[in-house]
Formats: sequence, structure tokens, C-alpha cells
Amino acid sequence: MSAVLHLAAVSRVHGEGATEVHALRDVTFRAHPGELVAVMGPSGSGKSTLLTLAGGLDAPTTGSVWIEGTDLASLDQAGRARMRRTSVGYVFQDFNLIPALTAAENVALPRELDGEKGKVARRLALTALEEVGIAHLADRFPDEMSGGQQQRVAIARAIVGDRRLILADEPTGALDTDTGEEILQLLRARCDAGAAGVMVTHEARHAAWADRVVFLRDGVVVDETGADEPEALLAGEAGR
Amino acid sequence: MGAGMSIRQAMLAILERGPMYGYQLRAEFEQRTGETWPLNIGQVYTTLTRLERDGLVEVVGHGGADEGDRAADQAGSDRQHVSYRATEAGRSEVSAWFATPVPRTQPARDELAIKLAIAVTLPGVDVGTIIQRQRSATMASLQDYTRLKRTGRAATPEEPADLAWSLVLDSLVFDAEAEVRWLDHCEARLRRAALEPGRGAVRHESPAVTTAEEPVR
Amino acid sequence: MKGWRPALRIAWRDALRHKGRSILVLVMISLPVLAVSAAAIVIKTAEVSGLEGLDRTLGAADARIRTEGRGEVQQAPDPGNGRWSQAEDPDPGQPLTAEDLQAVLGDDARLVPITSSWARIRSGERVISLTATGVDLADPLARGLFTLDSGRLPERAGEAVVNQPLLDRGFEVGGEVDVDGTTLTIVGTGRDATVRKSPALLASADDLPPDSDNLREWLVGAGPVSWAQVRELNRLGAVVTSRAVLADPPDVAPAAEQADTGSNEMVAVAVLIVVMALIEVVLLAGPAFAVGARRHARTLALIAASGGTPAQARRVILGSGVVLGLVASSIGLVLGGVLGWAVLPLVQGQQEEWFGPFELPWTYLAAIVAFGLVSAVLASVVPAFLSSRQDVVAVLAGRRGDRRPRASTPVIGLVLLGVGIASSTFGAFASDGDGALWIGGSAVVSVLGMVLVVPVVVAVLARLSGRLPLTARYAARDAARHRTRTVPAVAAVAATVAGVVALGIANASDELENVRTYQPQAAMGSGYVSWSPEVLPGEEPPDAAATWDGIEEAVHRVAPDVRTTRWRGLDEPYDPAGYTSTWLEAQGSREARNGVDECCLSSLGSGIAVADSAAELGVTGDVAADVDRALSAGRAVVFTVSTDLDAEVGIHRDTWGENGDELLSSTTETRPARLVAWDADASGPAPSSSILPTSMTDDLGLAVTTTSLRLDGDLDEATETRVAEVAEGAATGAYTYVERGYQREDFASVVLLVLAGLGGVLMLGGTLTATFLALSDARPDLATLSAVGAAPRTRRRVAASYALVVGFVGAVLGAAVGFIPGVAISRPLTSANVMGAPEQGPFLDIPWLMIAVIVLALPLLTAAVVGLTARSRLPLVARLG
Repeated sequence: MSAVLHLAAVSRVHGEGATEVHALRDVTFRAHPGELVAVMGPSGSGKSTLLTLAGGLDAPTTGSVWIEGTDLASLDQAGRARMRRTSVGYVFQDFNLIPALTAAENVALPRELDGEKGKVARRLALTALEEVGIAHLADRFPDEMSGGQQQRVAIARAIVGDRRLILADEPTGALDTDTGEEILQLLRARCDAGAAGVMVTHEARHAAWADRVVFLRDGVVVDETGADEPEALLAGEAGR
Repeated sequence: MGAGMSIRQAMLAILERGPMYGYQLRAEFEQRTGETWPLNIGQVYTTLTRLERDGLVEVVGHGGADEGDRAADQAGSDRQHVSYRATEAGRSEVSAWFATPVPRTQPARDELAIKLAIAVTLPGVDVGTIIQRQRSATMASLQDYTRLKRTGRAATPEEPADLAWSLVLDSLVFDAEAEVRWLDHCEARLRRAALEPGRGAVRHESPAVTTAEEPVR
Repeated sequence: MKGWRPALRIAWRDALRHKGRSILVLVMISLPVLAVSAAAIVIKTAEVSGLEGLDRTLGAADARIRTEGRGEVQQAPDPGNGRWSQAEDPDPGQPLTAEDLQAVLGDDARLVPITSSWARIRSGERVISLTATGVDLADPLARGLFTLDSGRLPERAGEAVVNQPLLDRGFEVGGEVDVDGTTLTIVGTGRDATVRKSPALLASADDLPPDSDNLREWLVGAGPVSWAQVRELNRLGAVVTSRAVLADPPDVAPAAEQADTGSNEMVAVAVLIVVMALIEVVLLAGPAFAVGARRHARTLALIAASGGTPAQARRVILGSGVVLGLVASSIGLVLGGVLGWAVLPLVQGQQEEWFGPFELPWTYLAAIVAFGLVSAVLASVVPAFLSSRQDVVAVLAGRRGDRRPRASTPVIGLVLLGVGIASSTFGAFASDGDGALWIGGSAVVSVLGMVLVVPVVVAVLARLSGRLPLTARYAARDAARHRTRTVPAVAAVAATVAGVVALGIANASDELENVRTYQPQAAMGSGYVSWSPEVLPGEEPPDAAATWDGIEEAVHRVAPDVRTTRWRGLDEPYDPAGYTSTWLEAQGSREARNGVDECCLSSLGSGIAVADSAAELGVTGDVAADVDRALSAGRAVVFTVSTDLDAEVGIHRDTWGENGDELLSSTTETRPARLVAWDADASGPAPSSSILPTSMTDDLGLAVTTTSLRLDGDLDEATETRVAEVAEGAATGAYTYVERGYQREDFASVVLLVLAGLGGVLMLGGTLTATFLALSDARPDLATLSAVGAAPRTRRRVAASYALVVGFVGAVLGAAVGFIPGVAISRPLTSANVMGAPEQGPFLDIPWLMIAVIVLALPLLTAAVVGLTARSRLPLVARLG
């Protein structure tokens, strides 16, 4: 199956000369449909850079980023914006909902920005809110909701309109353990339903929700775990 | 004899609910703890015999198993029809067990910690790689625990036993997470030490550097 | 944190750090300060106070004494500008003499006679008016009245000095000038102390007698003349301008001074303007402080967390008001001073009087600086108050500490609006002169009420915005969430629009009045050339008939298609020896008298025409037959509004003395007449109020002359110009007029344009301020939009939507509020009774087009400008950056 997201030998250098910082060095990375990939690493390891590159918010110094078979370098700024509202969904640590808009409107945002009619966009938004289990809060404003509810809205915004790549930046960072797990469950369910997810986190417990965990250090992928069968693991554990 | 001790007391605690014979007792235990600590039936009966010797349980007689059980345990011996129940002394032993915190005075013998402690002091051993491999393995376990947690009966606990299983899984998750964090910490310490040559504690190169070029896929 | 010092320090640093915002505030506050202080300097410099003007009227004398005859007078310490009154009727037969004055002032008081009069002199075909002063300029007491530039001062009778404007009219040093029969030789030229632009002449008092015999004036050299002496001289009948008294005015308020009308109203109007300007400045600068307060949210939260009181937190924001206000006022003051100094020569060029010395009116300037400071502090009060109440925990946790806006009720605002409507209604119907004040006050009250209603309107708009497109919806909601920033901006736009709409309605109504009460001077499309000879006493009038022949011939030459008709009237030239006027009065039956007295038939020429047929006056139709019948029967024709009647009229001839105040003789002849009803609605104004046939004027021995040459035919503007030029060439002073209906004065259009431009600029300013402050505030939201896939132009759309929301809400509210004083002021403005006008006021005209442009087009235009100028780059999400 072809990867939804493909970073091919991507490097990103910030600054020049003495202040030059290699945020990413020659990283190759794929996320396939139905797969949730966690990116772990200490701060400064290039996790967030990887995510900004994947979302087309930033361009690599060398290498290329492909989303659903399209090289982002071949798109202009407006094209990358279109890509973000049709193919990529972002989820942030601090939710980044627009306080002036209701939950449904926040969710409908990418569709409306794409020129969808208000009614259609709202219907899609309600479907997405239903999926994250808070359809009844559709007409509340963000400051009338709890953190967990806000993050659910953010996830609904990231999946509305059947987007196949979800990029999540510490989505549970501002939430307590239980709420965080609920959010992970939503992400997981979305990926099980066929989307590709990339989640940056520094918590192993949350990364464990992923099918694959990529360790970044100093801009380099140092390690990667796929999933083995649980039975085998238990056997191993018992033997320990 | 930590683990053995806790299985003995756990069985005693389960028997407090009412008379049970061996297979039943094993099923009840495993329902609560998943298959995390699998018991073989011999181990169960050995423990029961010891408990009986110590006067903590007593035999209440034969029968009590239903048809389904009997069918399931078709390999059975006569003993399978012997039911046990907790005595008065057994019950007070259980109360004392619950009332006493699990002591942490004697750290469990941790193979990983010992392995690293030795490796760091020996020349020619690539500690970085050890850490990395270990972390991958632990991470993989962590992923598996998480998958169990989110898929099996632990994901949607309906009975107290399901909840118990879920909590046991959580315990494993937090253990593994702690281990990953500890490994991260070790790695960071080693890197720092490598950057301060004066210490000389670790003579070989930084693990990060040795593994950096290692192709990942 | 005890005093203000830390707050001021933070404010000062902040002002330096956020230069854009600081400059915005500085400009908004320093501009009005600059304008007002420049105006204050110019006005105070132009104003010649009693003391400053003394040398101009007194020369080097200690006092100047004027008398119209024996009889007590009352005067203010400075009797200038008519601040004196005659307590008892003067006795013109017994004028005061120098001896009478010396009895009070002492025998050694030197009295130099001085006269001032108004004279007419001939220069070629023209007659020029000039101010003539008779005084011995060689006398030391007269020093300062005239500054010689070239030539010399008069040394003997028959010599005169003149100022430059007189030379400009065709005279020269060494030439002669004939003043009221006295021939004077011009021996020098220079600067008259009082008259600047119009001609002035100074000669010996013997050569220039005063305007009337009982008028006497002296310059006095007697040492300081005390107030007691002034009072004593007042009792004799003399008005005294004393240098000593003016330098140290006594604390008195004589009856004469109490008739000081009009100045209260002026003060009230000035206060009104200042209040409105203050409101506008506060509203415009408010958003900048609101955003500043937001930027300081963390600082303030830290102050609160470290034990600062809300008052101390407030001071940080108020401090920036103080700092920026002081700086802006100082800049405005300095620049205003420079500007005032620079424009003085220009203004002087427009004025008749010489200005006083350059003057810095410190009390006014201090008040203006205080105004700037107060407006800045006021603008920062609300943001300061709100930010001292922010959610400290939320801010410290890194969230935006907005408190959800409370649902406020517009009750106070609506009450104020009601008061505004009531008081403007009262003002509109007030009979005395205070009406304008009431209406002006109501404008202030209405605007304040409106400001209080704005939050509710903004909130309602946000609630109704659900169906709007995304960016507009975002703008409306965000505007409602950040009311501290939005409300003042919207209110500033609204206040501006209210002013423009009010003035627009007043102006349109005024124009409507001008149109409706317009009195044409000829039938539409026709015209006339008028001319009358300028004759000085003793001169023979030129041959009128020959002049008219010349004019008529010239007109035919350049405009062969234009028909000309000579209109005749009574020949009543001005004659200093006596002036005769003729008027008609109906006699006999009450019906006839009423018919003639009916008010007020408008006529083209108000006087008496002389004609023998209706056609001669261009009268046609049914009336023409009636007129012809009457004239051929030797009857006078009198046009009335609705009376057709044969009657008799008395033809009165009154002869007045030289000064027009003495009836020398009066005769009345009774003649048959025909009252003819003139339908002004159908035919326009009547050609004249009455017509006398030639037979009657001959019979009465009345001199008849051509009064004007009527023009008919194709009179386009080019023809008019040609006719006017040749007519003036044929007879100096000939005046050509073609009736084209009411023409709007260019000046009025310019004023309207300036007004609209100013309104547009203020509106744009308010909108831009709010929009760009909102954009900088909305950075996180824009970053989010970018991350979820907004195209770069979304930022522009958000900006344009913001401008639209602010501009549109402001314009609608402002237009609505502007109606209150606008409609009200149009009533007193257009109620004046215009004699002979076809319609009487009050008139009301709402300039719908202008209002539509302001309410719809301007916000759209502003939004377009904002949309095109806003940067289109979206910021990156802070965390991901």
C-alpha cells in the first residue's frame, strides 16, 4: 500500500553560519493508511520540525515531502494551503480553537475555507463531532468547554471531510491521564478506520498507542519499533 | 519469595468468597490478572496443600463443580472434586495481607539494572546499543500492553474481574513506561558524561554517535 | 509599586518598544492640539486688544476724546467697539469745546483736533470710497497714526499723505486728489495704522471736516487721564479712550457694558466643539490603548500575583496615557506654534486690519495641552479599568485572559438618546437664539448615548452572524469578544458619520431653502444690463441716453441674435443736496388698499416701471390685454396677488436731506389706477411692482430714464461673457446679469467636499486603527487558520471583513444618530422669513444619496482598501514555529 505521507531524505537547516542548526538530517519517513506512528525524542530532537514539514507549513532544505503521491515542492503556497484543508488535519497541544467560533464552526473551518457551502460544511462538521462523541456541544464556544472537549473538537476539525493524514503535536500534553487516553482512543480509531496518523509525543505511554514508534535524536531517526504479536510479548515477559 | 508469597495470599483471598476446587481457583485468579502470571494446576494444588498444612484452608468435601466445569476439565483427577475454603485463621491472614503495604525495602532483583551497571564499567561494551535495543524491546512490550488494554475485555470492563485485569495491565504499562524513561535518562547521562572527558567514566564514544549511522529500515 | 514612578517607567519603555502604536496615538492626539494651538495663536495675534490698539488710535497721545454734543454718556473703560451709550440726548447745537475739556483736564492740557470721515473721490470714470483722517501729523501727539514710507508728511493745508491701496487705484505722489470739493496734493505715501487694504488719506483737520458738524474729536496730551477724569468728561458728553485707564482698568461694570450679547453663545459653541473633538480623539485613541493593555496582560497579572493592587495595575495603562498624552501635546504645541507663526502672513493678507504683535496666549495653550493630556488619559481609562480586572490565573497560565463579555443593557444609552431627541426637538422649536445651543448639546448627548449602545449592537450583530460567510462571521464575533477595542473604533466612526450626516442634512436643507426662496431677477433664460452713472456732488451727470445707445450697439455687435429692450423707470439719482423717492399707495376702498398691501408679490424690479405697453415689459397672455387697456387709458398699473380692480393710487414723492435723516418735502398726487392680479405661480415674478404710463409721468413732471436693457434670446454663458465685457467697455460699472435659476455657490460645494473628505479620512482612520489592531491581536487565530488550510489571502479577507464590520456598524449607527441634530438644526436654520420669497420655511431635505454613500459605499471602499493593503502572509503556529 502506498504511503499517505512520505518524507524522502529530508533535511532542514535553520539559520546560517555560526547559528546554523540542523533540525532534521536526512530523515526518511513513511506513514501508511491505517497506521498510527508515534514520533518520540527529547526536546530539540526535531520532532516538531518533522510535523511542520509534513503539514507543508515549512519546506525542507533538501529532500522532498510527498502527501498522497503529491510532492509538496511542486505546489505553491495556496496549493499547500489547499492540501492542508483537504488532506491533512492538524491537532495541537493547546487545541488552537478559534474562540470567536462555535465548536461546529471550528470543525467546519477547513471545509468552509475550501469553499464548501455553509450548510454542507456544518453537516460534515456535525458528523465529525458525532464521531468524537460531542455532537451535543456543537453550538458551544470553546471557552464554554473543558480541555478534553476542546481537544475533541480539534480532532473533529482534523478529520472533517475525510482527511487521510492526521498530524498531532502532543495532543494529550494539556490533558489529564484519563482524558488523554480518550483522545488517543479517538486518534487510534481514526487510524483503524483507514487514516494515517503521525503523533509527536514525549510520553512513552502515549506513544505505545501507535503501531510504530520512531525515535528521533539530533534530527536523526535512531530507532524504530514495529509491533509484535502480544502473545509473544507476554511469553517474553513471563520469562523475564 | 515475593511472587510465590503473593500467589499464596491471593489464592487465600479468592477462597474467602466461598469454597472452590483447584481448577475453579485457577480460573478465578487468571480472570483477575489476565494471563500475566500464568499458574499451572500443579502449582495451585501444591499451594493449597501447604495452606491446608498451615491451617489456613480446609477441605469441605467433594462436589460443587457444575457440568460445564467438569466437561472443561476432562483431563481431571479425583482431586478436582475436592473443594477448599478459608479457615478462621486464613481469613485473618487475608485481612493482615490487605492491611500491610507491599514492602519496597528489598528492591526486586532487576536484571536490566544489573546488566547496565556492569556494562558501563567494562571497556569495549557499547552501552548505547544496549540501551537502544532494550528501549525498543520495552517499547514494543508497552505497545502490546496498550493494544491489550484497548482491545480485549480490559477496554470495556463490565465485571469487577475485568476492571481488575485492566488495572493489572495499567501496572504493566506504567512499569514499562518507567523503564523507557529510565533508559532515556541513562542515555542522557551517558551522553553528558561522554561530553565531559575529564570524568573518564565511560571511555567509549557516545552511544548516540555510534548508532546514528545505523540504517533504520 | 507605591507611587506612579514604576508605572510611568513601564509606560515609557512600552511606548518606545511599540513605536507603531505609539505613533498612532501621538498623531491622533497631537493633530488636534496642533490645529487648535495654531488657531489660538493666529486668533490672539489677529485680535487687537484695547492696549495693543491704543497706538493706532491714540498715536502718542494720552487720550482721545470724542463728543457728539453736550449730554451725559456712559462708557466702559475701553469704549472701543461701541462700548458706550448716550445717557441723555445730546444737544447738537452746543458742541463741547476745547475749553470745556481743559476745565477737567487742566489748562495746560494740549488738545489736537482730529477728524475722521468717509469720503468719495473720483478716479477717471470710477468713484472710490476712502477713509479720511484730518490731523496735524507733524504734531508729536499724532506720532504712530501714520508711518511714512516715501515722500514727506503734509506741512500745510492742501497737502495729504495716502496709503498704498489708494495709489493702486490710479493716484501718485505729487498728483492731486479732490475730496469733497477740496483739492489736495499728495506729498507722501506710507502705512495707515488702522486701515490696511482699503484706501486711506490723511491731511490737515482743516481740509477734512468731520462727517457732521456736532462731531468733535481731539488727541489729548495732558499726562495720564484718570478714570475719575473720564467719568467727569462723560458727564459733559465726551467719550474718552485713556491710555492710563486701559493700562490699569478700574473694576467697574457700567450699564453700557452689560449689553454684551452673543459672547455667551460663542463660549458655548466653543465648548461644544471642544467636547466633540475630545470624544472623537478619545474614541480614536482608545483602541490603541486597549491593545496595549492586552499586550501588558502578563505584566499586569505578574503585578497582581506579586501583591499589586488593581489600582497599581491600572496605573501602568493610565501611565501610558499620561506619557503619550504629554508627548503628543508637547509635539502638537510646538508644531502648532511654528504653524501659527508660518501662516500669520497668509492670514494677514486676507484681513483688513493690521494684526497685533505675535502673541502666544499661554493660558489658552495650557488649556490645549491639558486637552491633549486629558484625552489620552481618558482614552486609556476603560482599558486600564478592564485590564485591572482580568483573570490573573488564566493569563499566568498562558491563556488569553478575556473575560466573557457580560450582556450589558443599553438602558443608559437609550435614555441618553431619548434625552438627545427631546432636547434637540426643544431646540428646534425654541423661539430665542438658544435653539442652536440646545441642538448642539443634544448632539453631544446623543453621541454619548450612541457610544453606550454600540456594545449591544456589536453583540447583536455577532449573534446574528451565523449565516454570514466565514471571515465575516469571524470578524463579527471577534469584534464582539474584544469590545474594549471594537467599541471605541466603531463609536469613532459613528461619531464622525453622525457629524457628517447632521451637517449634510443641515446643508441640504439650507440649499433647499435657497432654492425654494430664490428670487429670480429676470425671467428664466433672459437677462439684463443695468447701469447708473456715478456722480459726485457738483458734477454734471453724463448723457444717459448716449451711454445706453453705446451699450445697446455694443451688445448687438457681439450678440446679434440677442434681442434688447430698453426698460424705463423714474430717474432718481443720488444728490447730496437732496434725494427724492417715489412710491405708490392705494387709496379709496378698503378692498383696493388691501389688494395693494397684500404681501408679498415678488417682482423682478421692485420699483416703478415706465411703459406704454405690456410688450415693452415682456408681459404676455391674458394679463397683457388688461395692462395694455389700463396703460392706454392713462391708468397706472399695480400688480397684486389676487385683486383685479379699478382704483386710485396716491403717488408720493418724498425728498430727503443730505444724510437721509431729514424729510425736506413730501407731495402726493392721486391718479387712477388698475390693480392687476399676477399669477406668480404660473408666470414667475412680476416684471415690476407697478407701471406708470408715459402720459402720467409727463403730467406729473417725473424724469424718466432708461434703467436697464433687457436681453432675450439665446444667452449661453459664452454670450453672457461677451455681452458683459462689451457692456463694461461701453459704460464703466455696467452690470450684466442672465437669469439661470438658482446656482449653488462654488464655496458651498467646496465646504461640502472638504466636510466629506474630512469625514472620510476620520472614518478611514477609525476603521484602519481598529482593523490593524485587531489583526495584530488575532495572530494566534490567523496561525490556526493557516494550519487548518486557510489560503494566504484569508488574512486579507479577515482584515476586509473587520473593516466592513467596524465601518458598517459605525456608519449605520452614526447616520441614525446624525439625524437627530441634523433634522433639528434644519428647522431654525431654514425658518428665517425671506421677504418676497415664493415659499417660506422651515425646509427639510435629507441628502439620501450622500447618506447612502457614507453608509454603504464608504465601508465597502474602506474594506476594499484594507483588503488590498493588508499583508497576505499568515503567521505560523507559535508552537510549531
